[in-house]
Amino acid sequence: MSTKRETKLDLFDIQGNIMQNFAEKGFIKARYLFLEIKNGNRGREFVTKIKPLITTSARWTNDASDPYGTTEPSATSNISFTYNALKKLGLPILSLHSFPDEFAIGMRGRRAILGDNYSSDPENWDPVWNTHDVEVHMLISIEAKNMDNLEERYNKILSLVAETNGGVILFDGSLKDEDGKEITYQDAHALDNEAGQPTAKEHFGYTDGISNPYFKGMLPGMGSVIGGGKKNPKALGIGEPKGNQGNPILASTWAPLETGEFILGHEDEAQEYPACPTPPLLGKNGSFMVYRKLHENVGMFNDMLEKTGADYPGGKEGLASKFAGRWRNGAPLATFPNEEDGKKIAAAREAAQYKQAVAKTPEEIAAANAEFEEVNKHFTGFDFQKDLHGGKCPLGAHIRRVNPRGSLEEDSASYNTPSALADRRRIIRRGLPYGTSTPNSNTGEHGIIFMAIQANIKRQFEFVTQQWMNYGSDFKLANEKDALLGNQTPDKDKDGNPIENVDGTMVIPGDDGKVPYFVSQIPRMIETRGGDYFFIPSLTTLEMLGKRIIDPT
Amino acid sequence: MSNIAGKAYSMNLMTPITRKMILINKLIFWIAGTPYFSGALNGLRTLSLIHYARWVVVGRKQFPHVSPDQPEEDLEYNYMFFNSNFNGSWTQYVDSFSMAIPSGLNLLWKKNVGWPDAVPETPFNRYVINNQIWSSHYYCAYPMAASNDVKAGQSIKGGVEELSKGLDSISAADFRKKYDATTKKLENDISMMAPTPVVSLANLAIEKRERIEEGKK
Repeated sequence: MSTKRETKLDLFDIQGNIMQNFAEKGFIKARYLFLEIKNGNRGREFVTKIKPLITTSARWTNDASDPYGTTEPSATSNISFTYNALKKLGLPILSLHSFPDEFAIGMRGRRAILGDNYSSDPENWDPVWNTHDVEVHMLISIEAKNMDNLEERYNKILSLVAETNGGVILFDGSLKDEDGKEITYQDAHALDNEAGQPTAKEHFGYTDGISNPYFKGMLPGMGSVIGGGKKNPKALGIGEPKGNQGNPILASTWAPLETGEFILGHEDEAQEYPACPTPPLLGKNGSFMVYRKLHENVGMFNDMLEKTGADYPGGKEGLASKFAGRWRNGAPLATFPNEEDGKKIAAAREAAQYKQAVAKTPEEIAAANAEFEEVNKHFTGFDFQKDLHGGKCPLGAHIRRVNPRGSLEEDSASYNTPSALADRRRIIRRGLPYGTSTPNSNTGEHGIIFMAIQANIKRQFEFVTQQWMNYGSDFKLANEKDALLGNQTPDKDKDGNPIENVDGTMVIPGDDGKVPYFVSQIPRMIETRGGDYFFIPSLTTLEMLGKRIIDPT
Repeated sequence: MSNIAGKAYSMNLMTPITRKMILINKLIFWIAGTPYFSGALNGLRTLSLIHYARWVVVGRKQFPHVSPDQPEEDLEYNYMFFNSNFNGSWTQYVDSFSMAIPSGLNLLWKKNVGWPDAVPETPFNRYVINNQIWSSHYYCAYPMAASNDVKAGQSIKGGVEELSKGLDSISAADFRKKYDATTKKLENDISMMAPTPVVSLANLAIEKRERIEEGKK
């Protein structure tokens, strides 16, 4: 594959939420709208009218001569469709049937695969996902730096909805805001620290969203190949001094993933085009997105840390770090098993982020970006090759489960591709926290709006959720689940009857010859509150959907 | 009829092979089995989701003829029979075979009629499914155990037997030391075992019917 020319993507055709991480650019206020198409004709008119508002993947720049660039918008908006939406918009049946089965079935229908049982059962989801005769067809996401810009874009979209005269409806009163008032949208936002500054933390206090995949066609600033790519099969550190080969902090250890793992119509890791609806232009430059509202039981999490942390030799923070595989400040355990070292590198990263935020001139911006990249590679550039038994980062820690970084291959020389078992399971993560919480919050509105973008929901998001988060066999952990995100079985059902096969355990291997620690009675700390599977069409497809000119013949 | 029992998936593959290729294939099997060349199959050996795998050449005249009433067959080809049990399902794990160990797969199947190549995945996947013989009966004595669980269980059994030796004479402090050493040794084997996650869509259909019966959406 190395003889191939550089991949160039049509960034103006690919929706912006696929390749741009808006939150990283300071767009930390978000609103999600759920719409139903009542009338096909007026639905198509709506799609045509909203198209000029859709943000593309073109990078934001003031340089008018940049062929890949566009000016930074005041707010972003992106649109995606469920299977039933495409049906309602009049897509030919041959095209409809060419979509993957899991997309047609939707998240509710896939609940058994996803482990959405007990408190995560669809019957406990938000009304928008859980009311008879209500069908979410379209998801529109809006992101902005502040609420004024967000409201302005929201009102623009509302007026487009109004113009359809009931042909497209926004779900009314199916969600609640932080005060329990019924609203027509889902809001999300970065959480502030005590000083009122926005952070990248979620409600449990972990710095989130550090690592995302890096694939061919990404431009500088869209991601980092160090840790974001796959293990480089050809040049594992070749040209580096001996002993440095395979060093995960070096760019040469990694290679960009194939574009087709994330964007349809491009070659993927299996050296073919990913399964794509027909005609191929319908899918090209599009992708699939999982939208999932995850409630966080903050009180249960803190109880767990207090009680078990009092007994665990590493203390409360140590326990929190073993659950995640990172200290709560984001420093990865694989490289920074010592808390003080983790604190130091996290402080350096924070300082670099601050410099990025205040940089004004192009020179200052370039210098700040370079400094950030230098520090950030310590947060993304690691693997578990020197920690195969999990003494530093447990085999069952969250980040090691969802992205094993080549550690599933016991003897990587035996495999044709060094991280083959993980390369087909990567997902782009988007989303922000919603609601506010106190350390005791369990009930109420607070959690994460989680979105996963990938070419194949079954192979990527569903596999990771079922086999790697809610099961442990690939890590030789039997049925052990992800302590933070696993669907731990409660000990009683809602009628108070005891449930057999209670799980909620985690073995934390000891480091440097120390004994292992056994955590038990881990409650279900994250619950699903709704969501569905969406198709993110290209701008070309959006145009064709609006005009109803898609013909698979 | 299902290829799934407990945590295991049964793969039976019957692929045609020309008469003259039989000897070559037997030679490949023999060479691949010798220690010097076994490196090519290391991936297949260490892929922990695989319980076991076996390849057998079945000659065109070796197929069972169970009754005089059964018409005589004149087969064009000899066949290679592949039998393996692994964790999960073929659909879930096809990627873990195709991309991880293509050279091993190609070495063993290359001489088979119509073998595409282990990569790209779609033709390979289609070849396997088209030649797969679905299990009409498949039994698993330990439905909660994958092969990793069985291996871990063996280590634990050995460890606990060792720990329980000489308990009458050991001091509390020495027992503590011995106990700690045992848990340390077993730390990667000791996770909890429970039933398998849903693999088959047939299970989903049953669940769906039950929900409809209960009046849920």
